[in-house]
Amino acid sequence: MRKVHLLTLLVVLALVISGAGAALARQEVTLTLMGWSSSTAENDALMAQVEAFMAANPGIKVNVNLVPEYDTTIQAAFAAGDPPNVFYVDSSKLPDWAEAGVLASGEGKIENLEEHYESLLEAFTYNGTLYCPPKDFSIMALQYNKDMFDAAGLEYPTPDWTWDDLRAAAEKLTGTDAEGRTVLGLVTPPNFERWLPFLYQAGGSVLNEGWTEVTLDSDEAREALEFYVGMVRDGIAGPPSAVDAGWGGEAFGQGRVAMAMEGNWVIKYLLDQFPDLNWGVTELPKHPSGGQATMVFTVCYGVAADNNHPDESWKLVNFLTGAEGSKMVAEQGFGVIPPAKSAAETWLQAIGEEYGAGFLAGAPYAHKWQFPVGFGEVFDTFNSGLQLAFEGQALPEDVIADTAAVAEEVLAR
Amino acid sequence: MSEATRVMPKKRITTMAAKKRQEAIAGYLFMTPALIIFLVFLIIPIGAAIYLSLTDWNGITPVFDKGAFSFVGLDNYSDLLRGYHTDDAGEIVKATTRQKDFFIALKNTTYYVLGVVPTQTILALILAVILNQRWLKARGFFRTAFYFPSITSSVVISIIFMWMFTRGGLVNTTIQALFSGYDNNQFVNWLDDPRGVLHILLEQFGVSRTSVGDWASNRVFGLTLWEWISGPSITMSTIMILNTWTTIGTMMVIFLAALQNIPGSVYEAAAIDGANAWQIFRRITVPLLRPTTFFVVTLGLIGCFQIFDQVYVISSGGPAKTTYTIAYMVYLNGFDRSAMGLAAATAILLFIIIFVFTLLQRTIVKERANI
Repeated sequence: MRKVHLLTLLVVLALVISGAGAALARQEVTLTLMGWSSSTAENDALMAQVEAFMAANPGIKVNVNLVPEYDTTIQAAFAAGDPPNVFYVDSSKLPDWAEAGVLASGEGKIENLEEHYESLLEAFTYNGTLYCPPKDFSIMALQYNKDMFDAAGLEYPTPDWTWDDLRAAAEKLTGTDAEGRTVLGLVTPPNFERWLPFLYQAGGSVLNEGWTEVTLDSDEAREALEFYVGMVRDGIAGPPSAVDAGWGGEAFGQGRVAMAMEGNWVIKYLLDQFPDLNWGVTELPKHPSGGQATMVFTVCYGVAADNNHPDESWKLVNFLTGAEGSKMVAEQGFGVIPPAKSAAETWLQAIGEEYGAGFLAGAPYAHKWQFPVGFGEVFDTFNSGLQLAFEGQALPEDVIADTAAVAEEVLAR
Repeated sequence: MSEATRVMPKKRITTMAAKKRQEAIAGYLFMTPALIIFLVFLIIPIGAAIYLSLTDWNGITPVFDKGAFSFVGLDNYSDLLRGYHTDDAGEIVKATTRQKDFFIALKNTTYYVLGVVPTQTILALILAVILNQRWLKARGFFRTAFYFPSITSSVVISIIFMWMFTRGGLVNTTIQALFSGYDNNQFVNWLDDPRGVLHILLEQFGVSRTSVGDWASNRVFGLTLWEWISGPSITMSTIMILNTWTTIGTMMVIFLAALQNIPGSVYEAAAIDGANAWQIFRRITVPLLRPTTFFVVTLGLIGCFQIFDQVYVISSGGPAKTTYTIAYMVYLNGFDRSAMGLAAATAILLFIIIFVFTLLQRTIVKERANI
C-alpha cells in the first residue's frame, strides 16, 4: 500500500515536472528580430507577419526591434558579442559580415529554395556558402513622364529602346517648365550603382568571376562612362541637385526631369506624394549591340552565428520568407517585391500591373549589388571622380583609371 | 589639572588624525562617482582606442573572441601617413587611397578651422561688446536670440540649412531678389559644388591650373600642390557658415561674462585720459579679455577639428570628397569600410593634431602676454 502510494506519487511528480518543464520551455524561447524602420505600412506588415508566426508557434516569442541608424547599431551589437537572433542583411554588407564570422551558414537550413529567384540566392552566397534567404528586392527600371512625352510628340519608351533612343528622347525633352525652371531629359545620380547597369549593358565588368582581378579598365567601361557623363555635359541630363531635388524620385515627381532610373521603391513614393503625376515604367534601355542589364538591390534575413536558439531562428526566417509569409507582404503592395516567385503575381496585382511589370521584368537578368570587403573606397573614388566629370573637371577615362587603381589596391590588401 | 593637560593633547592628536583620515575618506567617497565615470567613459576607452589602433580589428567580430584581431604594430599609422616612398627592394611605392583620403580630410579640416575659428571669435567678440552696452534696449531678448542656435540640435539646424541652401532655395532666391543679374541658370549649387573657393578666386585673376606651371603638379602626401591650395569647396563653405552661426552664441556668452568682470573704473580712467571708443576697445577691452580669448579660441579649435555631424547630415563627405573631415574619416573607416583598427588610428592622430595646436596656441598667447 505504502509502496503503491510512493509509486503514484513519483509518477505524478514526474508528470508534473515534465509538464511544467514543457510549459516552461514553451514560454522560454524569446527571439529578437532587428531591422531598420521603413514606412509605417511596411512596419505594420512585418508586425502582422510576426504575429502570425507567434500564433502558429506558441512556444516562441519574437521581439521586433526596428532601429534608425541600423548599420552602426547592429555593428555595435556584433562587436559586443550580443547580436539579435535574426536581422536584416543588405546584399552589399554580406561579404563584410560573412568574413567577420557573425553570420550563421544557411546551408541545409533554408527551406523552399526553389521558391526563390536564382539571382537573389546568388546575392547571398559568399565563397560558396549560402547564408540567408532574401527578404525582398528592388530592381532598377526606367520611369517616364507621359505628359512630357505627349507634349514633345514622342512615343513612350519600350523595352527595345537603346542608348541612342534614350539620348535622343532626353535631348527633345530638355527645356523649361511653365515657371521658367530648367527641365532635364534624364536624372543621373552621381553614384557608382546607378552607372553600373550601363557598364554591364556595354559588356563590361568591375571584377572577374572569382573576384581575383580588376577588369574595370576597359573600352566598355570608358564607353559607358562617356555616355553617362556626355549627357550631363551636353545639358540634357544632370544629378538631382541640378534640379533642386534630393534624389532622382523627387526630381521626377516634381516634374523637373522627364525620365528617371529608380528602383521599385519609387512606386509608393510617387503614388503617395505626387498622385497627379501621369507616369509609366519600362525596362532600362539596351546597349546598341543588344546588351541588357539592370541592378537588383536586395535584403535577406540573416541568423546570428552566436545564437542560443538557432533552430527557432531558422523557423522564423523560413516562415517570413516562405510562400505564406511572402504572400502577406505581397498583398499589401509596397514598393519592395516579395522574395517568393509565387508571391510576385500577388504583388503585381496589389501594386498595379502598369507600375510593377517594368520592374519585375528585370529580375532574370539583374546584377547583384555586392563587392568585396573594403570596396567602399572604390565607390567613393568613383563617385568623387564622377562628380568632377559632371562639372567638366575630370575626364571619364581618368575616372575609370583611378577607380581601377584603387580597386586593385583594395583587392591586394 | 596636570593630568588633564597631559592627556588632553594626546587625545586631541588622535582625534585630529582620525578626523583627517575620515575627511579624506569622505572626500574620496564624494569623488568616487565622478572618478568612476571618468575611468569608465574616458580613460578605459582612450586606452582601448590606442590599443585597437595597433590591431587590424574589423569592428564586427566580437572584440573578446579569440582571433578577432591580430596585432599589426604601427601598420595603420604608416597606412595613413607614409606616402610616396621606396620600399626595401628599392621600388617606388605610391600613396595609397587610405593615405590620400586622410590628407584630403586633413586639408579640408584645416581650411575649415582656418575659416571658422577666427570668424566666430571676432564676430562673437563684436556681438558681446554690442550687447554689453547700457544704451541697448531689450538686451535680454538679443542675448537669448543669439544663444538660441547653440542649444538647438545640430541635426535639425543642418536640415533647415539644407532647405535654405538648395539650388532654388531661400538663399539663392534672396540673392536673386537683390541682384537681378543673378538668374536661374547661374544659381550657385551650394550643397553640391566641389570647386574650391581659392581656385575660383585665382581664376578671377586669370590664374588657373594650366597657367601656373609644372610646380603645381608636384605631389605632397599624395595630393598635388594645386589640390592643396584649393581652399574649402563651396559646399564646405556652406557648412562653415552654418557652424559659425551656431557656435557664435556660446562664444558670445563667454565673452559677455568676461566683459562684465572688467571693472568700470578702468573704463572711467581711460575716458578721463581722453581715450575714444575705439582706443578703449583696442587698448582696454581686448587686452583684458586675453585669457577669455584664449579659452574661446581653444574651445573653437577643438570643436572645429572634430566637425562631424553637419558633414554627416548635409554632404556625407561629398561632393568629390571635398567635405571629408578627419572625424568623418574615423566614422567611414570604422563603419563603412570595416577597418576599426584604422579608424582608431585616425582618431588618435586627430587627438595628436588637436593637442599640438592647443599647445602651440598656448605658447603664442603666453609670449604675447609677456611682451
